[in-house]
Amino acid sequence: MNQIAAIAVHAFKESVREKVLYNLVIFAFLMIGAGLVLGSVSVGINDVALVNLGLSAISVFGLFIAIFIGISLVWKEMERRTLYNVLSKPVARAEFILGKFLGLVLTLVVNTAIMTVGFYAVLWFEKGRLGAADLAPLEAVYFILLQLTLVVGVALLFSAISSPALSAVFTLSLYVIGNLLGDLRALGEQSGAALRALLRGLTLVLPDFAALSDIAPAARGELVPGSQIVSHSLYAALYIAALLSATIVIFERKDLR
Amino acid sequence: MLVLALAGSVALRIRLERESTRAEVTPVMYVTSGATLRRLSLGHQGLLADLYWTRAVQYFGRQKLSGTGDYRDLGRLLRISTELDPHLLIAYRFGAIFLAENPPAGAGRPDEALALLRRGIAANPSYWRLWQDLGFIYYWDLKNYPQAASALEAGSRQPGADLWMKTLAASVAAQGGELATSRLLWFQVYSQAGNESIRQSAREHLAAIKTAEDMAQLNKLLVEFGQREGRPASSIDDLVRAGMLPGRPADPSGVPYEVGNDGKAALGPGSRVDLQMAR
Repeated sequence: MNQIAAIAVHAFKESVREKVLYNLVIFAFLMIGAGLVLGSVSVGINDVALVNLGLSAISVFGLFIAIFIGISLVWKEMERRTLYNVLSKPVARAEFILGKFLGLVLTLVVNTAIMTVGFYAVLWFEKGRLGAADLAPLEAVYFILLQLTLVVGVALLFSAISSPALSAVFTLSLYVIGNLLGDLRALGEQSGAALRALLRGLTLVLPDFAALSDIAPAARGELVPGSQIVSHSLYAALYIAALLSATIVIFERKDLR
Repeated sequence: MLVLALAGSVALRIRLERESTRAEVTPVMYVTSGATLRRLSLGHQGLLADLYWTRAVQYFGRQKLSGTGDYRDLGRLLRISTELDPHLLIAYRFGAIFLAENPPAGAGRPDEALALLRRGIAANPSYWRLWQDLGFIYYWDLKNYPQAASALEAGSRQPGADLWMKTLAASVAAQGGELATSRLLWFQVYSQAGNESIRQSAREHLAAIKTAEDMAQLNKLLVEFGQREGRPASSIDDLVRAGMLPGRPADPSGVPYEVGNDGKAALGPGSRVDLQMAR
């Protein structure tokens, strides 16, 4: 456990040194601030537009952070040959993967927290005061974090088997597909038995990112039922466990010479 | 070098803008399907709905200022906004007004306004104000009083509906087309309006209704004058001299009423009241 924690802390420290992180966070703040402008050139959607734009900014830039840093987590260590040093400590390959994953999740939590503080600062500036109804976006932020954690798991898996460029493409592709599973399901229902079964299988196995999206309801001030929070959290946890298991199996069989 | 180059490019840009004729911005919609846009949004359909609603507002404002009365893309923009976010209530409410009002103030398409509101009600069945708006469109733009009463009555049964909805439904059913009923409807619009342009429109309608009521009263007095004096009144002053009026009444824009060539009450020159709004 100590070794996993040590690797996690090191991965976190390494991630926060990435300059792209600061650029993305700055752009996220700019987008959140732009929510004030959007409301002023429209009619009747000042608060809604601010919440939609703010949460979308946190989600999109969090996604970029998760992908850019996640895809190079393992690859960078292999390129620099520092991986061999770590594994010779001795650190089990599984511990290495878990430590890297937790380190990046910690990075995402900290960055998301910073962006969320910025978002609430802008919301407070717009509304003058915050009330109980403004808690709904916090739930959306939690679901965004679940999505990003899932993305990190996917990015880590691909980074163990591929180059950073391809890992980025695969991760982004899976993210897009994961948002379109509803359409795949609908397509399957209109197809023949074999295709229907195949598509049904795919929609059950592929990560359902759309199910973890709560931005639009949060903008309307709607809270998610507690049972749904629990069930979606459990789904994300199980899927991440599956991704990490697959990554560990691949990494343990990988010839590092 | 950097400062000089940047200054030079800015100066040249300003000159080019002055010299070029104003280009017409042609509205373009590359994607006209809300369902497709929803897929492309990857979970950010709420933001996209806000952008399309903003686009609809800007489009409506631009076309209204141009005075052309051409709102051909308005229905599509509103449809896309509400397909992206079926709970974007402002798009249904304001969109229906934009669509229903006669040109050049609006698109003059009450049928599209009804379709928009019905989609809104399907997605938000317990939001009673959409029923209210439906009732108003049937009442004002289609003069279909039974349907208006039915819509208002359905709205009155929704949770949280204001008490006056039931009263209004009954009033419309019994006296649809009466000025008093119209005044009640527009007073509700005025008191609920969350936007100054809607409030202004309601003020103008209420002013027109008051004017129509005043003129109906004046016409009764003119007939009475004619019967009493054996000659038609040549001006409102005749009624004042006959003691039938305490003074010369003015319309809500402050312009005194006059007697028209047909012997009936008429608006004075320079009056800013639009009597069409009372119909």
